[in-house]
Amino acid sequence: MKTDHLIDMLARGVEPAERPRWKRRMVMTLLVGLVVAVLLVAIGLGVRPDIGAARMPIMMKAMFSALCAAVILPLVVQLMRPGRPLGWRIGAVALFGVVCVIAAVVALMGEMPESRWEAWMGGSFPWCVVLIPVLAAPTAALLLWLMRAFAPTRLALTGAAIGALSGGVGAMAYAMYCPTDSMAFVVTWYALGIALSAAIGAVVGAKLLRW
Amino acid sequence: MADEAQLRALFLQGLAGDQAAHRAFLTEAAGLLRAFFRNRLRGRAEDAEDLVQEALVALHTRRDSYDPSYPLTAWMYAIARYRLIDFLRRAKHRAHAPLDGVDVGEVDPHYDASDAKRDVNTLLDKLPEKQRTAIRLVKLEEKSVREAADLTGLSESDIKISIHRGLKALMRLMGQEQTT
Repeated sequence: MKTDHLIDMLARGVEPAERPRWKRRMVMTLLVGLVVAVLLVAIGLGVRPDIGAARMPIMMKAMFSALCAAVILPLVVQLMRPGRPLGWRIGAVALFGVVCVIAAVVALMGEMPESRWEAWMGGSFPWCVVLIPVLAAPTAALLLWLMRAFAPTRLALTGAAIGALSGGVGAMAYAMYCPTDSMAFVVTWYALGIALSAAIGAVVGAKLLRW
Repeated sequence: MADEAQLRALFLQGLAGDQAAHRAFLTEAAGLLRAFFRNRLRGRAEDAEDLVQEALVALHTRRDSYDPSYPLTAWMYAIARYRLIDFLRRAKHRAHAPLDGVDVGEVDPHYDASDAKRDVNTLLDKLPEKQRTAIRLVKLEEKSVREAADLTGLSESDIKISIHRGLKALMRLMGQEQTT
C-alpha cells in the first residue's frame, strides 16, 4: 500500500476524538491498588498487634509513604503523553531523595552512638525492602494497564516512575504491619524499598509498555 | 512545508472530527516524518517509508494522547523517535542474512519512493474478522458507520470500537513484520 492510500484510509470517516478521562482513572487505580495492598497486609502479614497504641507512628509512616507517592505522581502523569518536558517533576524526585538522605543522617546523629546501628537496622533484617515491592505489585499492574491506554515513549523511565509510585502506595499499606518506628529506619529502608520497586518497574516497563 | 501553527490548527480540527483537516495533517506529517526517518536511516528509503507508515498509524490511533498545552511537533517527533528506536531494536534482534551470491536483480529505475516494503493490505488480512470487516467497509469501501452497522448487524459504537482496535492492532503487526 502506498503512503497516500494509507492516509486516505486513516482519514476516511474520522470522528471527533474522545477526551481521555485520565484523572478519574488514575484516582481509581491508586485507590484500588491501596485497598488490595491493605488486604494483603491484613491477610498475609497481619496488622501489628499494638495497632491501638501505635496509632501515631503508623500514621507518620503512612504519611511519609504517601508523601513519596505524591512526589512521584506528577512525573508519572507527565510521562503518559508523548512530547512533554519533565522539567521540575524529575527535579522534585531528586530533591526528595536528597532530603531523605539528610533526614536519615540527622536522625541517626540524634541517637546514642551505641544504639545507632539498632535504630538504623531496626534490630533485624529490614524486610520492608523486600515486602514493599511485593505490596506494590497490584498497583503497578493496574498502572501499567492504565499507561498502555496512553502513549508512553520513554518506556524504562515510565516503568521506573510507575514502580516508584506503586512502591509509595505499597509502603502506605506496609506501615500497618511494620513493627519498627525509628525515623532513620523508616526514611532509609522505606525509600530503598520504593527505589527497588522503581528498578523492577524500569525492567518490566521496558518490555510491557511497548506499543 | 507547514509550520507548527498550521499543523496544529489542522490537527485540532481533525480532533474535532473534520475529515479534510485530518487528512491534510496526515499528509503534511508524512512529509516531515519522511525527512526525519530518511535522515536517520541513510540509504534505506524503503525502511524509512515503512516507518513513515507505522508512525502515521501511531499518530492517528493515539491522537487523543496529544496535550494541547504543549507544541504539536514535540508530540509528533516524540512518537516518531519512539517508533524509530523500536524499529532499530527489532532490527538488532534479527539475524542479518548475507547478500553474497544472492541475485538481487536489476535496480528498478522507476521505484516509487512512497511505496513501502511491507504491504498494509496483507497485514489487514491478519486482523480478527470483526475488526477486518469494520475497517474494510468504512475505511476502504467508503461506507458510513451507519451503513456498516446495518450491513453487519453490529451497533454503530461496535463498528467504531472495532475500527479503532483494528488500527491499533495493525500498528502492532507493522512492528512485528519481518523487514530488513
